[in-house]
Amino acid sequence: MGGVMRETGLRHAVQRLADLYSRILSALLALCVFILIFPVALQVFARFTDFLPHYIWTEEMARFLLVWTIMIGAMVGLKEGIHFNVDLWPDMQGRPRAALDLVTGVFVLAFAAAFLWYGMEFVDFAWFRISELAELPLWLIHLAWPILGFSWLLFGGLKFYDDLKTLFGGEAP
Amino acid sequence: MMGGNVLAPGEAAWILFGGFFALLALRVPVAVALGMACLPVMLIEPRLGAMTLMQETFNAYNSFILLAVPFFLLTANLMNVGGITDRLVRLSRAMVGHFPGGLAQINVVLSIFFAGISGSSTADAASQSKIFIEAQRREGYDDSFSVAITAVSAVLAVIIPPSILMIVWGGVLTVSIGALFLAGVIPGLLIGLVQMATVHAYAKKRGYPTYPRASLKELSFATWISFPALMTPFIIIGGKIFGWFTATESACIAVLYAGLLSLVVYREMDLKALYGALGETGRLAAVALFCVGTASAFGWLLAYYKIPEAILAGVSAWGMGKIATGFFIAGVFLVVGCFLDAIPAIIIVGAILQPLAMEVGIHPVHFAMIGIVSLAFGLVTPPYGLCLMIACHVAGMKMGAVIKDTMIMLLPMLAVLGLVIMWPDVSLILPRLISPEFLE
Repeated sequence: MGGVMRETGLRHAVQRLADLYSRILSALLALCVFILIFPVALQVFARFTDFLPHYIWTEEMARFLLVWTIMIGAMVGLKEGIHFNVDLWPDMQGRPRAALDLVTGVFVLAFAAAFLWYGMEFVDFAWFRISELAELPLWLIHLAWPILGFSWLLFGGLKFYDDLKTLFGGEAP
Repeated sequence: MMGGNVLAPGEAAWILFGGFFALLALRVPVAVALGMACLPVMLIEPRLGAMTLMQETFNAYNSFILLAVPFFLLTANLMNVGGITDRLVRLSRAMVGHFPGGLAQINVVLSIFFAGISGSSTADAASQSKIFIEAQRREGYDDSFSVAITAVSAVLAVIIPPSILMIVWGGVLTVSIGALFLAGVIPGLLIGLVQMATVHAYAKKRGYPTYPRASLKELSFATWISFPALMTPFIIIGGKIFGWFTATESACIAVLYAGLLSLVVYREMDLKALYGALGETGRLAAVALFCVGTASAFGWLLAYYKIPEAILAGVSAWGMGKIATGFFIAGVFLVVGCFLDAIPAIIIVGAILQPLAMEVGIHPVHFAMIGIVSLAFGLVTPPYGLCLMIACHVAGMKMGAVIKDTMIMLLPMLAVLGLVIMWPDVSLILPRLISPEFLE
């Protein structure tokens, strides 16, 4: 019994960390969307006024920020289960549902692992490169790929663990 | 390029499509299913490798065009929290509330106004489901009717300009977005009109309630307070046509204008509501666009193996004329729309069908309108119809319960699609009159 208690304690701690992490991601996501407005607005208004500077990097800034917005939103999206899927068995409940969710989970986790593993290579590949216009280090953008892999492993792993418990452990959570 | 590939095009096509549909059936999220279908092919092929998936998703997200998606979603969310939507509801009620099925008519007319400001159908479905479904329930409308009309009227948002789909289509397939904006006006209004007729028929048959006719004073007052909001489409579309800003920038202008109205003119938005709108926008935009990345990798692989050419070679042999090809294109998009979101569908299928349309001499803008209208209908067709899913979710109903009414409402809309296919001028006349240089 002691082992079970310890395991539940660990599960609880990881869950709390994941919750905190996703709250931080949510705040960053809202911030990203808000900041997105500025480079594009600056780009338009600079065209019609003399006192605003015509920066060449506004377009690139906006694109890079969009990349991060998409990636952070996709991380939060997995935690909240809002990624679109086609549900052919909407009425399935309890253990059969947990079993199917486990199958789904295997593919989600494999996808996450691929993003973490090859994403690190992707960062490494961009290590000495800079962007064309704003001359930002490119790895700063590529970094979103392994982070998405890690976040999905964390959020997807917790869900996977819960489904395992539902399938083998008796009562539904 | 073909020499030296490990997989033959046919084998690659089987892995890609077979893997994708098998994973979809297992309820794997669409974005993951697309990516996981690509991975084995990339890993088998020594020239590609898994880095191709990283690079292709990056290339897809690193796009100025796609910025229009979060901007239009944010516009819609700001409209809702900032009091713009409320005023447009009041105006719609003054205009059509006295028709049979008044509330459902308001539902359609509000979608038309909304479509002129925001370019996102999912945002329309999400906000109008909250406004109308419960209210229609209280007034004695059938649940399945309420959900269905809310969902089908939401598709207007991507047909009436501005539209996310038009911006993506124009960007991916190099068609003038200004021309697409103008081309969408008449088909969109026609679809809105047949929806109002459908509501009328339902209301007469089932005795749905109606409101007393609004006085002229109320109508003028409602128009007056909605006037700043009603200016939005003219600013966005006018700005695009006169070349003041690009399509993506027009979406940003829409955000600024909606923000200005919410904060300064109507003064109904607080910081908490703003934070909520930003978070909501980020989530919906990200899950929609994340799919676009893996869909682009999928489409890239299809092109790598020249699979589209192989499919088209078979179809060209049928020797179809313009109209038959138009119906064929619509059919393909309608079927694909049942399984895929509209943006990935444009990226994968639009690129496949474009040469076919060009071959028989369908104008690129006309081809785009056939595709966009068909894909818009796909937003309410199961199993994967986002607008219908959202409306069902808000109503707490299963999709199965609303399919019949949705299909009934789709029939007259399909007739409009037929008109759009057979009579190119429905789409082309406005761009030809207002800015013929867009059609070149």
